[in-house]
Amino acid sequence: MDSLGLIWTLSTTTWIIPAALIGLVWGILGGALPGISASITMALLLPFTYTMEPVTAIVLLASVYIGAEYGGSIPAILIRTPGTNSAAATVIDGYEMKRQGRAGEALGISLWSGFLGSMFGLVMLVTMTEPLSWLALAFKPTSYFGLGILGLSVIASMTGGSLVKGLAAAVVGLMIATVGADPIAGINRFTFGVPELLGGVEPVLVMVGVFALSELMVQSGASELYELKEKIRVRLPSWDVMKRLKRSQFIGCIMGLFEGLTPGGGGSIAAFLSYNEARRWSKEPETFGKGSIEGVAAPEAANNTVASTTLIPLLSFGIPSSNSTAVLLGGFLIHGLLPGPRLFEQNGDVVMGLYLGSFVAIVGQLLFGILLLPVCVWLVNRPRPYLAGFILALILSGVYTLDHSLFHVGFVLAMGLVGYLMRRAGFPFLPLILGVVLGHMVESSYRRSLVLSGGDHRIFLEDPIAVGLLLVSFGFIVFSLGRDIREARRARQVAKPLELKETHP
Amino acid sequence: MNKDLASGLLLLALAGGYFWAAETIPNSMLDDAFGPRGLPVVLAGLLAFLALILVLRGVAGLRTVTADAVANDEEDDGEPDAALPRALGFLLIGAAYVVALPWLGYPVSIALLIASIALYERARRDWRLPAAAIFGGVLFWLLFNKLLGVAQPSGVLFSALFS
Amino acid sequence: MKKTLLALGAFIAAAMPASAEPLDYPHDVVTLVTHSSPGGGSDVFLRELVRYLGKQIKTNFVVENVQGGSGAKAMARLAQSPADGSIFYATTPTYIYTSLLSAPEYKYDALQPVVNFFTDTEVVYTAENSPYKTLADVVAHAKEDRGRWGAANPASLERQAAEQLKAAAGVEAAIVTHEGGGDMMINVLNGTLDIGIGEVQELRSQIEAKQIRLLATFNPDRLRDFPDVPTVKESGYDVVLQKFRGLAAPKGLPDDVAAIWDKAAQAVLADPDYKKAYEAESLVANFIDHTKYPAFVDQFVAQTTDFLKKSGVIQ
Repeated sequence: MDSLGLIWTLSTTTWIIPAALIGLVWGILGGALPGISASITMALLLPFTYTMEPVTAIVLLASVYIGAEYGGSIPAILIRTPGTNSAAATVIDGYEMKRQGRAGEALGISLWSGFLGSMFGLVMLVTMTEPLSWLALAFKPTSYFGLGILGLSVIASMTGGSLVKGLAAAVVGLMIATVGADPIAGINRFTFGVPELLGGVEPVLVMVGVFALSELMVQSGASELYELKEKIRVRLPSWDVMKRLKRSQFIGCIMGLFEGLTPGGGGSIAAFLSYNEARRWSKEPETFGKGSIEGVAAPEAANNTVASTTLIPLLSFGIPSSNSTAVLLGGFLIHGLLPGPRLFEQNGDVVMGLYLGSFVAIVGQLLFGILLLPVCVWLVNRPRPYLAGFILALILSGVYTLDHSLFHVGFVLAMGLVGYLMRRAGFPFLPLILGVVLGHMVESSYRRSLVLSGGDHRIFLEDPIAVGLLLVSFGFIVFSLGRDIREARRARQVAKPLELKETHP
Repeated sequence: MNKDLASGLLLLALAGGYFWAAETIPNSMLDDAFGPRGLPVVLAGLLAFLALILVLRGVAGLRTVTADAVANDEEDDGEPDAALPRALGFLLIGAAYVVALPWLGYPVSIALLIASIALYERARRDWRLPAAAIFGGVLFWLLFNKLLGVAQPSGVLFSALFS
Repeated sequence: MKKTLLALGAFIAAAMPASAEPLDYPHDVVTLVTHSSPGGGSDVFLRELVRYLGKQIKTNFVVENVQGGSGAKAMARLAQSPADGSIFYATTPTYIYTSLLSAPEYKYDALQPVVNFFTDTEVVYTAENSPYKTLADVVAHAKEDRGRWGAANPASLERQAAEQLKAAAGVEAAIVTHEGGGDMMINVLNGTLDIGIGEVQELRSQIEAKQIRLLATFNPDRLRDFPDVPTVKESGYDVVLQKFRGLAAPKGLPDDVAAIWDKAAQAVLADPDYKKAYEAESLVANFIDHTKYPAFVDQFVAQTTDFLKKSGVIQ
């Protein structure tokens, strides 16, 4: 009853519901633009959340994520270009359906499956996160150190093929996190007399520069690839079709749940896995690739489920497992909220508001998904030069709102260059972001623990939570490395004959 | 020069510069045993080590299988990435905006930014170019200064004209 | 009869400032600058103050958030503005700490403290279920075993209070700094720390819920809301610290403008509506006029510089 009362107060006294709907609309539009991924769509809004109430800001960002997962499937189906990475699996059967003149039907199935996936994800989120809140008081500085290390260990699975480059990106991220006043002694480090650096580097600036700006730079000079002429209307599936989709949607939900819980590719892996599984378990596997409705339903249910379930590790442990959740974490940090067990204790209203906002956004998705389609098509048809100009204008204006400082605008431009160079040289982004976001917590909790113990490292072994978290991180690193080595060996075996040919012509 | 070698050397320079800056952090009685310099020194060493591996790998010419597309959550859509000079040019327009903003004021600077980027991205030179720029300038000014209440700079030029 | 008339006269005189016409002011718009973000401590202070200040001074007040660099940017903004009473800065110990620790281009001495409104202090507290009943218990424990004391922020007034208490008591306690009072409170509640040193405002709900117990205050006198809590000095350790909240202007503010503020500040503090509002926030009114305020701030600077130099934070 208590939480029902809270929900009523939240929905009548705060901006949660408008924020959820605005975020949803923004997410659908941003997701629909090819090249603008869910994380970029969120990063573009991030600076604006600075002056908002914490609950409103978090709901806004989470709703963008939900909207972008559906929005991404629009160009995937219509122009064979996934708007977001996780919509890549939808292209296979979605575009095939469009070629058969069934685009409206494909969009309807995507919308309906996304709705079910999101609802399932939300239920999982609410039931699985809440029980963790009792841990709040038990978390000591040593436990927070374990938590930070667990977060950093995610890097091991994010190295994108090169462990050295992944680690280097993480170290640079940690270096950025050391700028500003030292967390224990209060001495200034690496500020070089710049007043804007005294408070440290806002992770937001790194995210906007590395994700959004570098994407514009990479796309610079690209030609237009697509044009949409025909008029399309969304057709929601009939009762009969809904029943036929149940199996593939169920597979999508389960895959989405697992992908959300484990650090990974932010929905794209679940989408492809569920596509494969849906084909394996389908009654008519031969239709896959030839415009199967199940082939659209499974990945769309999966990537929408991930949009909610990926919040489980974020809320309960503060671990961002994808680019999008890293941006969401940035939203929390802007308002001084540190996700983790303590969040439920100290900011229960924010968590409750997030649940409520997600619910509103998911329900709103069904309506806005249909209404916004013409706008999305119009937007996709805009000439790219103007889109680039407006997006850059939005980035540079948005960053200024953070602190009314031109220094920050310049800093974002520099981060754009860093992001561009990282892309070109094959460095992954997420380790960098994780380093920036977690560096402060890892360092301060480590040093705080040592101050408590008088320099004795055994204090970490005396805290069962810290020991547990460190063991999990260790296991995770070993598992990821083992997998990387196996894959590298396999790649080498394939590559060897080629090399021989090259050296002995 | 391949990518590994280039990025390795760049990171090595960064590690060196960072270490040098870390050495200038002053001591304090309020420091703990690990100290404000502890982590920076470890990080500098770690980055130098990783950079050396990259340099060696670059020198040995060992090409590694990179799956950066997967790692970055962005996909290659067939179009090759823009070359460095082109990307830098894009960035330069952004830098020009930062320089122009305090002088020309927000609406004018934004309009110029949109027009410059559109031209740089080879927009057709017709009536749409000035129209989009002016529309953008007014739209962003309304959005930020009026709706969000952010005091974007009004510019020296206009303060002088109107006061 | 004469007595009643006198009393009546005194009553009217006392009531005068609140009911008088707003004072004339040489500017139509006065900007009040704070370094805190919207919703932060000084921001709330200014916005609340402005609501009642309009009754005292005939002008329009605008609150501006000049964030960044813990006050470094705001000080620069003030130092480059005209000293004619059109712009003021909300002072707190933060701008002194930033001036001393970060050595920014424009420091506290580029500004002139005008009036003070409130003073505030730090308290020592422990968990309700902890064995410590008095500050002496805590010190006794620190003498036998290694004490674990928390300070809400690094290089701050809390840290200074903890270090000075440690020196005055002659014990070796580990002083653990945190990122804000909420962060530290959890560690006091779960027993990681013996005591925490923080602000009363941050502790109110936990005090009411009987989760934590106040042991002492660094204020010169006992707190009005907690008359049973002794001062640190009464407990036998000669440490007294005060936070302040007031206004500063660019250096060279004309005396006649400063005099207007002296009158207005006194009057606004006596305003019953405002009084109700700030007492609910447990702020203690402590009016200091423009002739004495600079000396008050200088004394705080001297005390802080001395502490920072002794501990080697600054040379």
